[in-house]
Amino acid sequence: MKILDSNRQRSVFYLTVIFLFAACSSDLTLPSKGNRAAAIQFGPEISLGRAETNPAAPFLRLAPDGRLFAIWTEDEAAEQTKASNAAAHHSAGKMAPSPLRNAFLAASADGGQTWSRAKRVNSVKEAIQSEENGPKVAFGADNRTYVVWSIPGEKGDKTRANIRFAVDDGKGDFTAARTLNEVKDTARFPIIESSPDGNLLAAWIDRRIDNPKPRQLYLMRIGVDGKALTKNYPVGEGLCECCKLGIAFAEAGKKVYMVDREVDDKQIRNHVLRKSTDGAATFSRPVQISDDGWQVPSCPHSGPSLGRDSRGQLHVAWFTLGRSEKEAGIYYSVSKDDGKTFTQRYLVHGNTAPETLYNNLIVGDDDTVYLAWTNIDAGNRAQIFMRTLAPDGRTWSPIQQISNAKGNASRPVLALQKNRLHVAWTETDGEASRAVIRTARIAP
Amino acid sequence: MKVVNLALARCRPLASILIVLALAGVTVIAAESNLSAAQLIQQASPNPGPAVGRSAIAFSLQTLDGKAVALETFRGKPLVLNFFASWCDPCRDEMPLINELASAATKDGYNVLGIAVEDTRAAITEYSKEANLVFPIALDLNNTVKRSYRIFGPPATFFIDSQGMIRDLVLGPLTRERMREALIKSGAAPGKIVSGQP
Repeated sequence: MKILDSNRQRSVFYLTVIFLFAACSSDLTLPSKGNRAAAIQFGPEISLGRAETNPAAPFLRLAPDGRLFAIWTEDEAAEQTKASNAAAHHSAGKMAPSPLRNAFLAASADGGQTWSRAKRVNSVKEAIQSEENGPKVAFGADNRTYVVWSIPGEKGDKTRANIRFAVDDGKGDFTAARTLNEVKDTARFPIIESSPDGNLLAAWIDRRIDNPKPRQLYLMRIGVDGKALTKNYPVGEGLCECCKLGIAFAEAGKKVYMVDREVDDKQIRNHVLRKSTDGAATFSRPVQISDDGWQVPSCPHSGPSLGRDSRGQLHVAWFTLGRSEKEAGIYYSVSKDDGKTFTQRYLVHGNTAPETLYNNLIVGDDDTVYLAWTNIDAGNRAQIFMRTLAPDGRTWSPIQQISNAKGNASRPVLALQKNRLHVAWTETDGEASRAVIRTARIAP
Repeated sequence: MKVVNLALARCRPLASILIVLALAGVTVIAAESNLSAAQLIQQASPNPGPAVGRSAIAFSLQTLDGKAVALETFRGKPLVLNFFASWCDPCRDEMPLINELASAATKDGYNVLGIAVEDTRAAITEYSKEANLVFPIALDLNNTVKRSYRIFGPPATFFIDSQGMIRDLVLGPLTRERMREALIKSGAAPGKIVSGQP
């Protein structure tokens, strides 16, 4: 062991004194009462779907009746039927050459312990996309189910794709899906949310105008009956072409907040917040969340997450490489002035290996922020990690690993019930994939 | 969250001292080498990453048709190594050029290998048919090669000479001009592609 010289010994002594002094303050000692966020105890892993058809891309959502729903994709078991099942929405009837995958929906009435038999959402077999671009579900006040997903364009191009939409028909099935984007083969990365005003808001990244400003943010309002209330309309431009969107509502749907990864003419990709005060009819100019300066002319494929707490604070998490690999990691920032400004970014977890990381964030009723993301473990496998930020906005829990994937775990999604936290993700190992969910009891 | 670790709470003085000593140790080490915690993580990585002038990082994968393929397989001829995904916009934008490059590879004395990242065999098989890809494609199903080559988002193309040294690399979509420059650096014989003829 190397012997420290006298200067270094002095440094260690002074540092020790400083830290001993600091240790007496509340920040470095464990409090006897719970203002310090602690690790969460999760239950066992539960697999969603049929293992033999490679479930992937789970997404979670609570229905108003309290049930937890999960939607995910699986391989079409009977691939040989492909030729006879042309994608119905294409007038030419040509089959998208991407592999056929179906979307399945299941519900849990006991907090994620047991699940209903999974129901296929798409009545026609389609090449439903997964990964960053997986299906999403929303619920009306009467628990009616609305689903969106993305399929490749007519020539099979996943980057010139279409947004499909289906509603439960009230008889245990779903209506035949219809395409939401009015210009074909232009749209992907859909989200759908039940607005507090009672209607649905669908959003996606659109490329119907490829030049001079690539990738627009398009919206569409949909009524509770599933019928269109508006045509497609653009509310922003300059979006990164392959990253998911985040959304939050306030004031009964009058205020709508959206986050996305923006790309400028120099291929610098920073995250922005767009805010509407007229129920998503129009949006403000984007507000930069952090000047990360990540210049990348390629596809990060990892979008930001947004949550709003009871005080109106807007919490955002994202991945960036910043201006060098040394900055790479999952970051967090909060706006305390309704989206006008954001606090300096906080590094939640630095990259442990060169890899794009994926994140999801959700805010509890008590204003605790729950954040899940991927990072690489000592065995060079991507795993799911988690931290919470206490309502005081300062106290972060330790980083805890909640997956133990043999291959890689990716794209965590979170859902909160009153006293339960659910985290779902995709695990891949070679050719196989599985959709996994774990649940933890939390203080109500 | 109101979880209290009672055992740790009882040992608070001891825990505080241990935390202090650990923090002091980390601080001294970091100060000594003038490194941040993030840099320490980077240094801990055994792989320094790919760079021009360094040897290409060895890999061993399977191709779409199940054949084993390794970096060593291509020793003796320049290699163009293209990382891509079927879902990636700029990959699709550059793919006609990569395909053109691959069409001339045998005649011009180099090899082209695609490495599909964050994708599935089925999706890449279909994409390969759709885009009429004429070069072999290896599947990096567990992202290990992607990580070792530090690819944070496809596409990325490495130009490797006949001795396995990286002579150029392009992050993002290739242009014809950039490709010509990189091919020459890798020692590929000039041909139609390199000369820029249509």
